[in-house]
Amino acid sequence: MAKRHVEIGILFSRSGNYHLLSEACRAGAMLAIATVNADKDAAVEFEPVERDPEGQIDRYAPLCEEITRGGARHVVGCVTSWSRKEVIPVLEKTGATLWYPCPYEGFEANEHVVYMHASPNQHLVPLFAHVLPRYGRNACLVGSNYIWGWETNRVARDLVQDAGGQVLAERYLPLGDTDVSRLVAEIRAVRPSFVLNHLIGPSSYAFLAALGELAKQDPAFSPERCPVLSCNLTEIELPAIGPASEGLVAVGPWFLGAGEPWPWKALEALEAPEAPEAAGSVAVPAQPSSFFVAAFSSVLVLADLLGAKERGAEEGGTTEGPRPGTAPLAFAGRSFSTPFGEIAIDPQTQHASLPVRIGRVSGGRFAIVEASQGRVDPDPYLSRYDPAKVFGRPALRAVS
Amino acid sequence: MTRRARIPNLGGARAFVLHRPHQTTTALARQLAAIGLDAVECWPELPADALAADFVFFDADMGYDAQFPWRPGEAPMPLIALIGSEAPGRIEWALAQGADSHLVKPVGNSGIYTALLIARQGFEARRSLAGEVRALKARVAERQTVVRAVVALAGSGVGEERAYQQLRALAMSWQLTVEEAARKVLELEEKGGRDERPARG
Repeated sequence: MAKRHVEIGILFSRSGNYHLLSEACRAGAMLAIATVNADKDAAVEFEPVERDPEGQIDRYAPLCEEITRGGARHVVGCVTSWSRKEVIPVLEKTGATLWYPCPYEGFEANEHVVYMHASPNQHLVPLFAHVLPRYGRNACLVGSNYIWGWETNRVARDLVQDAGGQVLAERYLPLGDTDVSRLVAEIRAVRPSFVLNHLIGPSSYAFLAALGELAKQDPAFSPERCPVLSCNLTEIELPAIGPASEGLVAVGPWFLGAGEPWPWKALEALEAPEAPEAAGSVAVPAQPSSFFVAAFSSVLVLADLLGAKERGAEEGGTTEGPRPGTAPLAFAGRSFSTPFGEIAIDPQTQHASLPVRIGRVSGGRFAIVEASQGRVDPDPYLSRYDPAKVFGRPALRAVS
Repeated sequence: MTRRARIPNLGGARAFVLHRPHQTTTALARQLAAIGLDAVECWPELPADALAADFVFFDADMGYDAQFPWRPGEAPMPLIALIGSEAPGRIEWALAQGADSHLVKPVGNSGIYTALLIARQGFEARRSLAGEVRALKARVAERQTVVRAVVALAGSGVGEERAYQQLRALAMSWQLTVEEAARKVLELEEKGGRDERPARG
């Protein structure tokens, strides 16, 4: 049967201070589009409609509108929560859907957004469940002055208190600020059991370098005794951090080399970049990451959904796309093959059920120290959070 | 308020939505479920088990007093008005019900979580203030009892200042409020006269 031609929006900033992350997402989406288009059995053929907001927040909404005006009903895009919140009114007006491939702070469930990366019950909560019993309960929280740091640290304060610990210091830097001396001096003075780092980009790199220096002077701050934790650190940023990345602990749904073997031909090219024809003309990142995988998976899941609809149409259904507020995406009772493994999308919140892995940087890559059994269902409002379950008994299985 | 910020725990909370079946109730139910609440839709009356609900959403357009199993303004849980028509009479009626927050129809994805948290905070503040007023009123009503107890204690010539101190000491040792201790002093006074007056604590 002839493939159905479907336009798909791509809305990632290719410059600006988080371009490393958005380039990874964009590469994931583009490679998945190439994969679907090369697949003779796929029911759809995607045509990317790309716009680049260049890291300028006010360009997201108009560019998203431009994409949907052309007829695209699905957009893979956005890295920051701020940009996601900017495009939501456009999505509500036009009935389009955003596939959002980044971890975020939770407390949102818009029916025009599919959340394909982790929310707090899939990042911060299991991270603390792993770290607090092993390293101690007293925290220093640092972050950039921005919703991600504020909101994630806010949840962190409650978790630390529930575990019987104390927040010894909580500090924020303006976005892009690299003057970290005061943060480091404070950490040195209060001697926490661990540091939760939600600084972004250059602030984070400067902070980790300074903390690395401190660890050299005083072994009490070595990663073995006082680890630095992150809910969004991936392979993407390891080269920018350099040697100071050694010993960092991060949580995520996927880390390179730790997952199942790649079931997709195109992705094999990532591990053997000398075979470029498999990836077509798409530039692939030197190292894939969970951001890349989430964007890649977004396109695969969408192709799968649209394919199911095509098949439904052949059996006498309809091929009409969803109109605003009418046909919700058919996630109920389904699971999808992705590089994360088999995942499901909770139809109620439109957040993905994902595996949870905790990795520790060793020799420039993540070594998995703990992994969930199967996937963890999303709970974006932490409405099922129970301190006794998180800190009372281990929810994860140790694998090393 | 100095209450510490907490993960707002709405998981498992029950919300009744008093509104005729409508797109608004569908959207509301969807979002409440996403937030983790159990939503019960009902119309035109709130069933009796709504008395145990954690939140009640009600239609400000078509609503009327007899729908609620309580008197206007005396709901035992936070109320959230669903406002379509902004007619002053309807808003006045919704306010008279004691709405702690509101949503403007048509209800979409956003605003519901905010409305829940604002309603709960407003309701709790109102309830704790009402409790304080009740306690203060009770104390004011006992003014005369306190005066009579001090007079009784001062009867032995210790002077009213000492007598008041004595009353406070008694209240402390009995672990009662001054007003309650005053009543007890008077009771003892009436029962046994001066000789059985409690020894000074």
